[in-house]
Amino acid sequence: MGFVDIALIVLIVTGAIYLLYRSIWKKRGYCSGCSSSGKCR
Amino acid sequence: MMMPNAARTLAAVETASIRVAVAGNPNSGKSTLINSLAGTRLHVGNWPGVTVEKKEATLDHRGRSIALIDLPGTYSLSPYTEEEIIARDFLVHDRPDVIVDVVDATNLERNLYLTVQLLELGIPVVVALNIYDEAEKKGYKIDVRAMEIALGVKVVPTVATRKTGMGDLLEAVTGATAKGSRNVPRSLNYGEDIEAAVQKLTADVARRHPALAEKYPERWLALKLVEGDHHVLAEANLSDADSLAKDAVGHLKEAHGEDLESLMADARYSLAAGLTREVLKRPAVKTTELTEKIDRVVLNRFLGIPIFLAAMWLVFKLTFDMSKPFVDWLDGTINGPFTRWVETLMGFLHGPEWLVSLVTKGVIGGVGFVLVFVPVIFAMMFFITFLEGSGYMARAAFVMDRAMHSMGLHGKSFIPMLLGFGCNVPAIYATRTLENPRDKALTALLIPLMSCGARLPVYVLFTGAFFSAQAGMVLWSLYVMGIVLAVLVGVLFKRTLFRGESPVFIMELPPYRMPSGRSLAIHTWEKGKHFLVKAGTYILSVSVLVWFLLNLPWGVENKKDSFLGKAGSAIAPVFAPLGFGNWEASSSLIAGVIAKEIVVGTMGEIYVKEIEKKPEGPAPTFFEDLREIGTSFAASGKEAFSNVFSTFGIASLKAEEKEGRATLRSVIGKTFTPLSGYAFMVFVLLYMPCVVTAVAFRHEFGTWKWFGVAFVYQTVLAWSAAFVIYQGGKLLGFGG
Repeated sequence: MGFVDIALIVLIVTGAIYLLYRSIWKKRGYCSGCSSSGKCR
Repeated sequence: MMMPNAARTLAAVETASIRVAVAGNPNSGKSTLINSLAGTRLHVGNWPGVTVEKKEATLDHRGRSIALIDLPGTYSLSPYTEEEIIARDFLVHDRPDVIVDVVDATNLERNLYLTVQLLELGIPVVVALNIYDEAEKKGYKIDVRAMEIALGVKVVPTVATRKTGMGDLLEAVTGATAKGSRNVPRSLNYGEDIEAAVQKLTADVARRHPALAEKYPERWLALKLVEGDHHVLAEANLSDADSLAKDAVGHLKEAHGEDLESLMADARYSLAAGLTREVLKRPAVKTTELTEKIDRVVLNRFLGIPIFLAAMWLVFKLTFDMSKPFVDWLDGTINGPFTRWVETLMGFLHGPEWLVSLVTKGVIGGVGFVLVFVPVIFAMMFFITFLEGSGYMARAAFVMDRAMHSMGLHGKSFIPMLLGFGCNVPAIYATRTLENPRDKALTALLIPLMSCGARLPVYVLFTGAFFSAQAGMVLWSLYVMGIVLAVLVGVLFKRTLFRGESPVFIMELPPYRMPSGRSLAIHTWEKGKHFLVKAGTYILSVSVLVWFLLNLPWGVENKKDSFLGKAGSAIAPVFAPLGFGNWEASSSLIAGVIAKEIVVGTMGEIYVKEIEKKPEGPAPTFFEDLREIGTSFAASGKEAFSNVFSTFGIASLKAEEKEGRATLRSVIGKTFTPLSGYAFMVFVLLYMPCVVTAVAFRHEFGTWKWFGVAFVYQTVLAWSAAFVIYQGGKLLGFGG
């Protein structure tokens, strides 16, 4: 496994964690019944 | 009829934009009216309390921008409920340019009670006489002109669901803000005594507190002081409130007793009743309406709950039967041609082996297995939307209200709980409609027991594997189990953590209506879309992370030795008495903490090796794949149609097994037994709320405390219920 592989893995994992944080915490788990602005409040 | 973006003319433009507050009674059609005017998709439903917060939409009309603010439905502007406070604070402090008062024409007197209060605010009002078609059907004759004269404002008959009267309404709104407008709400006369007090208070406040007279509409403030409105008194911070009130209303108190608030309410009811008598002519002979006829059966003391349970069973059966062929089609397409295409593309791009595995086994294995169940979720949301729109959901709440009250629970709590069938997150936010903080917390604690759509993929997977012939009944049993346990846990909490009396709950029952196809389509999409968003966000993230956890330490051969496998193995003994003490099930439950459908996605990733099956002979070409996808989709549509009318509507499951293709369902069928499979579904139904719901708890209550309580009690409840089912089933000879 080379440097590029490791860099790619770090990038993917960081991206996944950020996406998780953004969708669950920042966007408060936007879902049906929430307002059309995309937030639950 | 003029539409919102009608040709712009050279009409005098007073201001560039108009802020319009849309107010009215619950279920009078405010959100529908805004959707019709602005083409938005605000959530509507034929039951009260759909809107619990301000929502906004904008449109252009005659060169002017109109911002429509959808206020929560209220019966009055008293400061007793969250909805009333939100609506009132906005009207008093934000001072919109116009109020559109949406009045249900079939229920004029009750709606005019709010109208009377809106007129007191001194803001131009336009009355949208909505649901006018139903009033006409009932034989009501409303003298619109007489109503305009009596109220001093423009009255426009509308049918929001059909967009009738929308152009006239916009004209009235822009006209109300035009220079020299005749839209001056009339000051309705409360009678000699009250009017004298109001006049005195108005003069006193203007003299002693000029700043207050600027801040509040003067007549409104005076009326509130007569009532002794504690909210306004606290907000206005009047140092001499007592002397003001004593001077002005002393004689009223002497004449009518201490309760001036009731006196004012009576006066307003009298005004509303008088107005109604003036403008409305009802048919001489009252006919029994369809709504009444249906309610006699549906709300019957003995039949109400059995009918509710039967309706739920029908929903689940139809959901399963209609969606199953499409689930199979998606399963075949995603795990067949689509995976092949991605593998070919990755090979063409010379992607590293681990990346090919991440994409095909992690992303497609994880997200793909969740997406397979999208047809079930859309079918379920379609039926829930239909029940909401038809007016039956309100009856369901009413029927359950009686049952819950008999056990000391707050009846109104069942409304957010019903919302929980779609998604627990907005249901937690909907608890803000409950006045009592204890009832609010208790209801929020019970909501996660309502089986949300995210749990459906797990149920459908296991039901398909073990109970295909009784699919509807098994799904029904899980939903009913959630409701029954919610009632029992509610009773337990009410007697321990949440002691106290429940306030009386009066619920309005809307008339039955056939929801329009457009409305059904929009709201089914809005509800179902959420699951697609989830698939593209946190299910994708977790699938990627799960893949890494299944492949770390790097190069691990046996997944059981991976980080996730070891974590699953470590807690597996806890689940052994429940019949699923293997690391695969345990690992899936750990990942499912983020969102329950991830249980299925993780199983897809874990069992991907067993599911894989290379086609014998040469792989089909791209166009052969496309043709096969199209042909099988058409066959699925045909099968779904026939399933609805078939008693044995789930033949597709068997057909798949005949082909001998290994699927996640067939692997599950070998790993679990019917009994342990059912225990697993019950565990998924009951175990801790997902992380997104936890965040909703934190945001709504400002503390993690209530989530902590839910976490502990639900985990204990889930384990105990699964234990009783599995061990009890074994004792009864249902096999291990």
